[in-house]
Amino acid sequence: MKRLLTTTAILLTAGIAQAAEITIVREVDSNNYDPHKSTARGASEVLFMMGDTLVSLAPDMQTIEAGIAESWEVSEDGKTYTFKIRDDVTFCDGKKLTAEDVAYSVNRWIDPETKSPVGWRAGEVESVTALDDTTVEYKLTAPFSELLYQLTQSFGTIIDKENVEALGADFGVTGFNGTGPFCWGEWTPRDKMILTKHEAYTWGAPFHSNTGPASMDKITWQIVPEENTRTVAVITGQSEVTQYVPYIALEQLKATPGVEVVQSDLAFWTYFMGFKIDKETVSDPAVRTAINLAVNQEAMAEDLFFGVVQPAYSYVSQEALDWNRDLDDKLLKYDPEKANQILDDAGWVRGDDGVRSKDGVRLAPTAYVFAGSTWGKISEAVQAYLREIGVDMQIEAYDATVAWGKLATQEFDMFGMSFPYVSSGDALNLYFRSENMPTPNRMNWNDPKTDELLLAGATALTDEKRSSSYGEVLEIVHDAAVWLPLYHEPMVIAQSDKLETIVPHNIYGSGLYKGLDLKFKE
Amino acid sequence: MDAPEPIRPWWQRLIRDPAALLAAVVLFVIVVCAIAAPWIAPHDPFASSRAVMKPPVWNARGDWAYILGTDGQGRDMLSRLFYGTRLTLIIGLVSVGIGGVLGSFLGLLAAFRPGFDPFVMRFVDIMLSFPAILLGLALVAVLGPGAGPVIIALAIASVPDCARIARSIAVSVMKQEYIEAGRALGLSNMALFTRYLLRNSISSIMIFISLRFGQIILIGAALSFLGLGARPPTAELGMMAAQGRDFLLYAPHIAVIPSVLIFVIVLAANVLGDALRDVLDPRLRS
Repeated sequence: MKRLLTTTAILLTAGIAQAAEITIVREVDSNNYDPHKSTARGASEVLFMMGDTLVSLAPDMQTIEAGIAESWEVSEDGKTYTFKIRDDVTFCDGKKLTAEDVAYSVNRWIDPETKSPVGWRAGEVESVTALDDTTVEYKLTAPFSELLYQLTQSFGTIIDKENVEALGADFGVTGFNGTGPFCWGEWTPRDKMILTKHEAYTWGAPFHSNTGPASMDKITWQIVPEENTRTVAVITGQSEVTQYVPYIALEQLKATPGVEVVQSDLAFWTYFMGFKIDKETVSDPAVRTAINLAVNQEAMAEDLFFGVVQPAYSYVSQEALDWNRDLDDKLLKYDPEKANQILDDAGWVRGDDGVRSKDGVRLAPTAYVFAGSTWGKISEAVQAYLREIGVDMQIEAYDATVAWGKLATQEFDMFGMSFPYVSSGDALNLYFRSENMPTPNRMNWNDPKTDELLLAGATALTDEKRSSSYGEVLEIVHDAAVWLPLYHEPMVIAQSDKLETIVPHNIYGSGLYKGLDLKFKE
Repeated sequence: MDAPEPIRPWWQRLIRDPAALLAAVVLFVIVVCAIAAPWIAPHDPFASSRAVMKPPVWNARGDWAYILGTDGQGRDMLSRLFYGTRLTLIIGLVSVGIGGVLGSFLGLLAAFRPGFDPFVMRFVDIMLSFPAILLGLALVAVLGPGAGPVIIALAIASVPDCARIARSIAVSVMKQEYIEAGRALGLSNMALFTRYLLRNSISSIMIFISLRFGQIILIGAALSFLGLGARPPTAELGMMAAQGRDFLLYAPHIAVIPSVLIFVIVLAANVLGDALRDVLDPRLRS
């Protein structure tokens, strides 16, 4: 009898103490988890959970809050940032984090030997040094108004020098010692990434419902490439949370008992098609404007994406920091008659097959897009709209493994792309600087005035100056119709109702951000 | 005493087989629809509309304006099927045609000139070790996606099989006495090859090629399904099935209808090929 009681007691305790574990399904894995060597969203999603950044971005995508740095000061000339580092932060292996680790992390980020594709995001650094154990001096050669926003990204994750040196080329592949709410468990590439709770974590940013330690004991990021399978995984409870469910499934998921769908009103991931403006056909601004007028973004958003996405007429979300409100009324919207009129006036004449040409040049631009259902749908819809105005767009879809290389060439006239950003300046500096040709400035947009304004915006010392400089760039590129904006993708997360309702974040498309808000209901 | 039944012409024997007759009728209808696509398609197959994912007419929400419903872009499924079948058949016919002619020539040559035999057959062995899908992937990587590269890949993939079959048929023909007789009469090699060897092998080779047609259609559809075949907005059955995959749980007709059509075409081609073999192969005549 006594034994029975003991067994029951043990079983009961075991039941209560059952570990909180969840599985998150997602579409693709990253090639590695080294914050300086991957630009993949898949890497950022995990790095935000495994590591910390100097400062954090609140869910409103505008407010900078504390991270590893509890406070910071900016010198009057905007060139020196002094960060006060918390002294209670430890790595997963128990070692204390010091200002030296912060300095090491930034220096590795910008070191040419690291060959980081995102080194520019750290600004024009003169030096980053630890003044003492809790003070870091971040000196720039020119002011960089975007710096704090860039430092919230996963690329600015604080790493452990010993760990980096011990693992060498395997850093972020066989292990990663971070200070985030979760620690590296085990990674099986293209299958799953297992994270375990960082018990000592207590330094979450104030906007999280829980500042640490995390409620989850274990998180498994499971790769499931097929979208219907992911939907079924959520419906059957094999996965508790995912942001990778097809829009077509959202209504069904909302109606499924036990599943909840949450959505952020902000949409900081924009899909667009760009024009290579020195190519024979699309070099004509009339053609670019007409193409912008021919596409019905609203119908696309409703019919192809079931009204979940926001139709885009602007190159960045109209909610983004430094968006130019004066442009709100000038954006190009669906007007096929006007589009035809513009092309007629510009001398593009329709031939027997309905396709326009001028001086023997057929208006048949070639568009390079990524193979896959998303760009398949988008490009075919655009193609159908353009047929209506006599533009015979040719689609060439490439698998992601070759697409990036193809998109760095001068072979195409149009290209499809999507990108995350934190602010207007972030987006504009990435795409419109002449030094970023041929990629990511695939438009060959080479305008001294734009370069000047972008520099002025980046080095601005006041919010007004930065805002007006970027606002002017936005006006220039919108006037030139360099892009065909398509839609802004909001963050939509399907979650089990056993979990507390999640507040989706938009940072680099990583909806769960640090995973601190993941919690089973009591 | 009953007189022996006269041997009927091959097509009469063919239509006495109900399965073959049905297959022939089905294929005939499909081919006619494919050829007549521009005249019988109720809508522009490339024009999208706001009526996306409309179910077929037999569904309660169906609409007679779109008998087989619409796809994810609001394009009429029926019209796209006409055009898609056309392209699928063209890809199959052209590639089997090119591959069959090249392969048969190689096979006949190997049998006719035994000196060439080891070279031709080793070459064929090498080609056989390349799966058609892999070959298609490689060619598309070089030439870019499109119906052309797929036709080339399928044609190349048809060569080795056709060459082997043609060779084995030709080898047995070469042993016949009439070949020797022809030689004894002093016929030129050319005449011997075309008049004696080719004419006596061709019917068996044709049967093999007709059986091969169904397989080629399937591989072609698979390549298009993988996004290597026709370029949008062109319709192709494999590509239509691939586009419908995303909607499988919600609008299954978009993927199911083209898939069923591929199935029907391949089945009909195989049944007809089998029946042709039965009536044309003298050894199988009862």
